Amino acid sequence: MSLPSHAMPHQRSVFERFPFIPALGILAVLLLLNGIAEPNSMSFGAITGLTKTYLALMFLAVAQSLVVFSSDIDLSVGAILSLVNVVVVVLIERLGGGADAVLLSCLVGVLVGTLAGVFNGFVVVGLRLQPIVATFATGIVFTGLALWVLPVAGMPVPQSFWRTYGGRICDIPFVFYVVAALGLLIWLTVRTKYIIQLMAVGDNRLAAYQSGLPVTRIRIKAFALCGMLSAVAALCIIGDTASGDPVVGNAMTLYSVAAVVLGGTALSGGSGSMLGSAIGALIIGLINSFVFFAGVSSEWQNFAQGVAVLVALMAGVLITRRISK
Amino acid sequence: MPRLRLEGVCKRYGATVALGRGDLSLMPGEVHVLMGSNGSGKSTLSKIIAGSVRPDEGVIECDGSIVTIPSPRAARDLGIAVFYQELSLAAHRSVVENICLPGLGHARGLFRNRAEMTAAAEPFIEPFESVLGEGFGLDVPVGRLRADQRQLVEIMKTLAARPDILIFDEPTSALDRAQVECFMAVLRKLKADGKSIIFISHRMDEIFEIGDRVTIIRDGETVRTSVLADTTMEEILRTMTGEEATGPAAPAVSAAVKTPQRPTVKLKVSNLVAPGVNNVSFEVAAGEILGFGGLHGQGQSAALRALFGAAQSRSGDIEVGTTRLTGNSPRASIRNGLAYVSGDRARDGVIEGRSILENTVPIYALKNHLFVASPRSLGAKAQQALEQLQTKYQTLFHPINSLSGGNQQKVVVSRWLMAPPEVMLLDDPTKGIDIASKAELFRVLRELAAAGMAILLYSSEDAELLENSDRVLVFNNGRTVRELVGDERTRYHLYHAAYEAA
Ligand SMILES: Nc1ncnc2c1ncn2[C@@H]1O[C@H](COP(=O)(O)OP(=O)(O)OP(=O)(O)O)[C@@H](O)[C@H]1O
Ligand SMILES: [Mg+2]
Repeated sequence: MSLPSHAMPHQRSVFERFPFIPALGILAVLLLLNGIAEPNSMSFGAITGLTKTYLALMFLAVAQSLVVFSSDIDLSVGAILSLVNVVVVVLIERLGGGADAVLLSCLVGVLVGTLAGVFNGFVVVGLRLQPIVATFATGIVFTGLALWVLPVAGMPVPQSFWRTYGGRICDIPFVFYVVAALGLLIWLTVRTKYIIQLMAVGDNRLAAYQSGLPVTRIRIKAFALCGMLSAVAALCIIGDTASGDPVVGNAMTLYSVAAVVLGGTALSGGSGSMLGSAIGALIIGLINSFVFFAGVSSEWQNFAQGVAVLVALMAGVLITRRISK
Repeated sequence: MPRLRLEGVCKRYGATVALGRGDLSLMPGEVHVLMGSNGSGKSTLSKIIAGSVRPDEGVIECDGSIVTIPSPRAARDLGIAVFYQELSLAAHRSVVENICLPGLGHARGLFRNRAEMTAAAEPFIEPFESVLGEGFGLDVPVGRLRADQRQLVEIMKTLAARPDILIFDEPTSALDRAQVECFMAVLRKLKADGKSIIFISHRMDEIFEIGDRVTIIRDGETVRTSVLADTTMEEILRTMTGEEATGPAAPAVSAAVKTPQRPTVKLKVSNLVAPGVNNVSFEVAAGEILGFGGLHGQGQSAALRALFGAAQSRSGDIEVGTTRLTGNSPRASIRNGLAYVSGDRARDGVIEGRSILENTVPIYALKNHLFVASPRSLGAKAQQALEQLQTKYQTLFHPINSLSGGNQQKVVVSRWLMAPPEVMLLDDPTKGIDIASKAELFRVLRELAAAGMAILLYSSEDAELLENSDRVLVFNNGRTVRELVGDERTRYHLYHAAYEAA
């Protein structure tokens, strides 16, 4: 008996299980290009520096992907980041700048971010507004609050804060511990029941509701988690810049969306990968550093970065198509 | 005491009355059939019991006490599970994940346990083991499955909730006979366990096979409940349509008008090879309806899709009339006079979120090279096409999702009737369409055939296939194994041919 020619696998295809594979490929190519343009850029120190700068975007992209999984979107992540940034910086200053003040402020910051996320969830899910415009609006509100907390950029944080962030433990840079923690977080999250429910909601909201899933709660939770991780991103930014800035994150919002897409997650929801989003953030970081090292003159850098992101997006699409054939 | 009782349940959507008066009592250990034509309110009634649609009026009693069912979750807590006509599956999730999804929140723990979930799903997959077909697997995303396989997953998902009251809204519309038999065995077992079942189908034979009582619903009102053993098909049909005159009872379609002289070949396929199709050759004459038979997934749909240019690759010779078909794309096929009607409307047919008008006219617009179209002139044409099949809709500008399942399917069919092609490829075209409209559809198709069209028909319902085809090609494993002509077109020969090589 001959098997029909299309004998389909009884398993998920490799790509369905690891949707971040194209992103990994692009990442490898970019590493190579960076190495060619400037061999020094591949040194341990340079990689550490790159991670230090783009760790915040990694968290932000992972945060964004949770919301995207349920086929929503959060255009306020950057504003949440800014708000948490200034809240933490101002609070540390007010509490006197000691070690416990720093810790307490960080906790409060994470709480503020989570609350901002819950607020988003309530606005989008509770009031049934379109997420794209609703979070655009809440983002402006958060920016307004941030400007009220700290009207102008400045106000340095205590040395201990950025020394830790930029320092080493057991000869390994601190940021790599954070990366490892992020990896662990992702590893754990994809194994929760919640993520299956979240994906089901993003896949087909009506079907999920009809299956008896608490759709409202699931979506609000995604916004809350997104806010919380955006707050962690804010802590990374503080570690990197060592000061408060009420608009520091605003430009990062759409970068986070781009990172999510680069990582192989569909904006239509229902499938994707958080690890991919983190890789997507690194891709954006490497693109920017490549454009710098390739010696593009400063007035053309934005142009080159934009084109490079487009190329990376197209490469992702092409690789995906190849693999799924 | 009835397990579930509805009295005067009513649901309106604006000016549309989806369900005017729903009365129903469901006993333990009973299979209660709900019958009615397309748009009569069966799904609405089901969804009200399921908690996904809230009734405007009426009383629901569960085990003797009055209840409100505000959400599907509440229904679940009452021991109610529903098979949704349009399914409630997540396309990117695996078979196991979909089956376990409703129960996921109830189990303890933060993390999922793959092994546990598989173990939980397996007992519900097992009864269907022999009819799952190619490409089915525990870990396969549901979106990659065939329409009938997806329906089986929805059945398993319904069973996995371990409910006391089960509602099946057209669970068999894409299943073939072997699959239906497995399902019937499951239903009998549930019945013996004292579960209560509401069963909706447009297939008469199944209803008499499994049902105890039947409630007939007409224009949103439940008009009569009777014991199936004491009633006849004619009586049911008469009550459904409300016509007193005894018209043609069974939807008998006149056999093919004997083709005069030498028929002209309209479609000639030689050595067609495509994914799932293994070297298939045949000819269809103008005026002829050629049926594709056999068990599900033996290459019938795959061949139709390949002819239409919807398969990834294709080789072989295809001639439409005298022109050789070049280009493997639906666009090229449409240009060459092919049409493809799929029963998998959610995937291939319905343009989600757009109006009924927009869903009816695209092919007509494409063929007539309309760049600017006035809704008024197009509307008149669309209306005519839709009315031919007795499509029930409010206005052409309502979204397609506001239609009942069968009526959505009629829109998909009408799309092609508006601009009749040379060759019509019908891939389970009547999925969800009621008996009366089905007869009308085949009458229209016969007319079109008589005017020179060639028609290929695949149907998961054997009776429909045998009644309407002039010849039947039986498929097995991607090849055609037999041709049934003349008196051979019987169930016996069809089963025999379908199973002999399997
Ligand atoms: N969301 C909605 N908005 C507007 N009208 C609706 C909606 N849902 C259903 N209807 C209307 O209610 C009527 C009953 O629909 P229902 O789906 O219950 O029919 P049905 O008996 O299940 O038909 P079928 O056999 O085609 O599945 C139809 O006329 C339909 O157009
Ligand atoms: Mg229905």
